[in-house]
Amino acid sequence: MNIKDQKEFPVDSAQLKEVRNFARGLFDQVPEFEDNKEELVLALAEAAQNIVKHAYSGQPSGDTMRVEIEYQDKVLKMELFDKGKPVIPENIKPRKLSDIKAGGLGTFFIGQIMDEVVFKTTKEDWVNHLILTKRF
Amino acid sequence: MTYQVTEENNISTVFLNGEIDMDVTDKAKDVILPLIEAGKEVHINLKDVEYMDSSGISVLIESHQKAMELGTKVTLKEISKSVLKVIMMAKLEQILNLD
Repeated sequence: MNIKDQKEFPVDSAQLKEVRNFARGLFDQVPEFEDNKEELVLALAEAAQNIVKHAYSGQPSGDTMRVEIEYQDKVLKMELFDKGKPVIPENIKPRKLSDIKAGGLGTFFIGQIMDEVVFKTTKEDWVNHLILTKRF
Repeated sequence: MTYQVTEENNISTVFLNGEIDMDVTDKAKDVILPLIEAGKEVHINLKDVEYMDSSGISVLIESHQKAMELGTKVTLKEISKSVLKVIMMAKLEQILNLD
């Protein structure tokens, strides 16, 4: 079962639910995702949340983010594009396990769920391009 | 997210419902933190929470820490399977009070 779709969403915390529902609609079609569908949704949603929270500092902008999801040959690739502040990958630090605080928790979750997390700086008209990959 | 608060024997129980993400974090804090600040023991019932992300977890952590600071207690009750999975992924099951 292969899937491929993309959609743009306003950069707004109120749209995070729509991002999740978009992913759920696609993941429901893939039997291999049955056991960890919500984990995959969480990884994508955390990445989308990071765009709202960090690339745009939670401020309304009128911009959109693009989400692309592709599952092919047992490899899931979820890509997010935004036009916010450029991400400096070296500055992204997941939460340390010993920390009892929420900062960096989303990034920690993404790292726990996905096999590979890659930041690219540009593609077409976008500023940030994040690629999350998981192999099945 | 919707919520309901009940009071019994100086314990406030907050029943949260739905999906808890960044968009509703402030709403959840506005419900829970004043109860803790009033010195009440708080139970947070999570049986009807279908989804929680790192922002939701941050509310649980902040509530727990605020309660510790003020000498009261927050207990998580009837945690749904999906929320428990996220709590365990965050390795917080030994830190938060789960029941």
